[in-house]
Amino acid sequence: MKRTLLFVLLLVAITVGATAPSFAQEPIELEVWVVFSDHRLDWAVDAGDRFSALYPEYKVTMVSVGDYGTIITNYTLAREEGNYPEILQVVDFALQFAVDTGWFAYAEDIIDGREEVLGQRVDFDDIIPVIADYYTVDGVWAGVAWNTSTPIMYYNVDLLAQAGIEELPRTWADILAACEALQPLVDDGTISACASWPFVSWFIEQWVAQQNEYMVNNENGRAGRATESTLDTDAFRAVAEFYRELYSKGYFIYEGKGLWGPPIQNFASGKVAIHMSSSAGARSTSESAAAAGFTLGTTGMAYNQDAPGGWTGNILGGATMWVSNGLAPEVEEAAMAFLLWFSNTENSASWHTASGYVPVRNSSIELLQNLEPGNKLLWDIPSKSLVDIETDDWYAAFPNYLTASTQLGETTVNNATRGSIYGTFQQSKDIYNGLVEEYMLNGGDLDAMIEETDAQLTELLQEYNFLFAGE
Amino acid sequence: MEEIAYIVHPLVVSLAGALLGALFFAYVRWQTQIGGLYTSIIVGAIAGVAGATLLTAPLAYCMFRSDQNSEDIIVGWIMVILGLMLTLNIGSTFLWRFFRGQRLLPRGDFTPGAFRGRFRFLYAGAVLSPTILVLIFFVYLPMFDTLRFSTFLARFGAPRTRFICVSNFSRMLGDLDYQSNIFLSFALAFGIIIIAMSLALLIATMLNQPIRGANLYRTLLIWPYAISPVVTGSIFGLMFGTESGIVNRVLDLLFDVKVPWLVTIPAAQFSVVLASVWNVIGFNILFYTAGLQTIPKDLLESASIDGASAWQRFARITFPLLSPFTFFLIVTNTIYAFFDTFGLIFVLTRGGPTESTFTAMYRVYVTGILASDIGKSTAQSLILFLIVVGITIFQFRVGQRRVQYGNY
Repeated sequence: MKRTLLFVLLLVAITVGATAPSFAQEPIELEVWVVFSDHRLDWAVDAGDRFSALYPEYKVTMVSVGDYGTIITNYTLAREEGNYPEILQVVDFALQFAVDTGWFAYAEDIIDGREEVLGQRVDFDDIIPVIADYYTVDGVWAGVAWNTSTPIMYYNVDLLAQAGIEELPRTWADILAACEALQPLVDDGTISACASWPFVSWFIEQWVAQQNEYMVNNENGRAGRATESTLDTDAFRAVAEFYRELYSKGYFIYEGKGLWGPPIQNFASGKVAIHMSSSAGARSTSESAAAAGFTLGTTGMAYNQDAPGGWTGNILGGATMWVSNGLAPEVEEAAMAFLLWFSNTENSASWHTASGYVPVRNSSIELLQNLEPGNKLLWDIPSKSLVDIETDDWYAAFPNYLTASTQLGETTVNNATRGSIYGTFQQSKDIYNGLVEEYMLNGGDLDAMIEETDAQLTELLQEYNFLFAGE
Repeated sequence: MEEIAYIVHPLVVSLAGALLGALFFAYVRWQTQIGGLYTSIIVGAIAGVAGATLLTAPLAYCMFRSDQNSEDIIVGWIMVILGLMLTLNIGSTFLWRFFRGQRLLPRGDFTPGAFRGRFRFLYAGAVLSPTILVLIFFVYLPMFDTLRFSTFLARFGAPRTRFICVSNFSRMLGDLDYQSNIFLSFALAFGIIIIAMSLALLIATMLNQPIRGANLYRTLLIWPYAISPVVTGSIFGLMFGTESGIVNRVLDLLFDVKVPWLVTIPAAQFSVVLASVWNVIGFNILFYTAGLQTIPKDLLESASIDGASAWQRFARITFPLLSPFTFFLIVTNTIYAFFDTFGLIFVLTRGGPTESTFTAMYRVYVTGILASDIGKSTAQSLILFLIVVGITIFQFRVGQRRVQYGNY
């Protein structure tokens, strides 16, 4: 009898214990999908925790979802199931898709002219104009900028010096000349080849933009919905020819289409002298250069010296944070407040030091140039926490981190350097990257290849436009 | 109501089916001399009409309309032939059963253990329902959706779709890229199957010898099969990298050469075959080892006493007796080579360089998942499905005659 009573009591205790928290105020859940899985995810998780500590009524959960393509596919499926995250990291090539689906509430609409949301300042004018501009869709600020990058050159200064090169190469011609000068080092086995970088479509788009040219019609889709692929330009041909020359002279180690890992490894281990990658790799490349014991030099992305207008500028890369539509008003408010906090002066500066992505606010750059003791900004990867930076000017101490910001600052903002926006961007990337790959490896009739690819891409784009816009 | 103009009228399609069915059945009747000629012809004609309309009627014969191009009409006739193959096969089975006086449907097996009584179908249904529900929701409905989507222009997330008849299929007729993907899939599958099976047989034969630690070897050799193709791809990617791979490191030290394994042709194709073989060989060894243990020792001993050499014993006794295993492995390895190598290719080469390892399955993924182009992707997956089904049927037809399921 006694035992039964004890059992019943225990059961009651368990039941009460399990249901008790529901009487208390449950924090509002904010699920955020991001693509990172390395130290950048750690930073984001930590930021989410810091926000949750600041606002106990909210709970931010960071979920790592594949890559930029997968995250969109998964979100689409989640959307069809009706169970989707509050905030999604949307990459540049998915902009048109994000707009066309109507699945997102634009930041500017949520803010609706207010100066702050739940105590978080908006201060839109503080955002670096080129960045704000890029993520403005139909005249409205759509997503909140977070990870913004641009390609830059990374040089092994010691190897260049060994070959007698004092000035860091700036143009394609400089690179070819440097490779010629480096050839003796290749011949004697000091290095494997002159250059190695990821063979990704992003660089092709950048190089076309640098030459003030569009990838699709209607001014890159910025003046109206794009309807045709326009690869048939001297700018695009020049990119293909540059790759062909680099490769056929044996200057370039090709490691496969779309692969980032091996080329980065080649540079980090001192097997090549010249490397090109996202500025987002500044942090990790600096660390591996220090570990391998060579001096790292960086410049803006090399450009075609023969382009009629010279260097026009570079496109932004990276992604922005978008708020799903159809959320309850208090959840939407919380999501917006989180994003404003997430991209505020301190966090944007901290994110920059942790990764190499450019700070999105002018005030962040100022902060980094006028650091005061005790200003914990730098993300320490092994300890996964914010630490003090022992300098009062971050950029003076780490000049390689400034390269990307300088490049964007000097960019002439027009519809070429804003980059293209169209529905089949992701699908097209792989196809024109394949074209350049084919030409680089095997040569052939470039004009015919471009014509065929243009026709294929235009057909896909027109199918997309019909399905999404009925046009 | 607007008159629909056809290039090939639906009646012509049905008549063609009827004619083909009747001719085929009459031919079989003439060959076998079983049953009545007129019955054969009539049943053949009915089956022929059913076959000709089976796949075309649900689409309202749209592929034969005057607004379609000639490729669509070719696809239409292919659909007629596919339908005929199915209905004539079923029709002939029933007809010969009828002629031979057999039951049309095999009698239910009411041996002990079967359900009995008035409510036996209810009981059976209740017990089977979980499985049937899973099959319906996870196999049949998605399959039906696949069929439906293959006739549409559709993308994930798009507010509208457009019915485009068989254009997703007919565009493949002129798509040289896609055809080379198919050809490549066959070539890779051929390489994988030949190497993985012969190597597995060799290793299994060696394992079957009474050697010390045979169990340990066996476990270690089967191990790779427990590793998923994606992980296999990662392992080989690390090993075969041009600059940082261990393989080139060794080659560089020994012979002063570096092979760009993953970025040149045919090295990339070779690497994919090698990785696939490594991945699947454990499975083959497992079955061959089991097979070898079923071969009676006395048979081999008596052959040995009669003076048969080791090779003769293998070629005349072991290999024929292993044929059920060989047959089974050919079928499973074919399916592996066509479908499962996707994960490995995705990690190892991403279909490159210049699409030289771009298999049909990889195409389905790129079109459907990367590009969200579900219409084209489902059509491609159906073609791939038909190819593998076709190969499997072919293997059964050819293989079964040579397979000896022994009572030894």
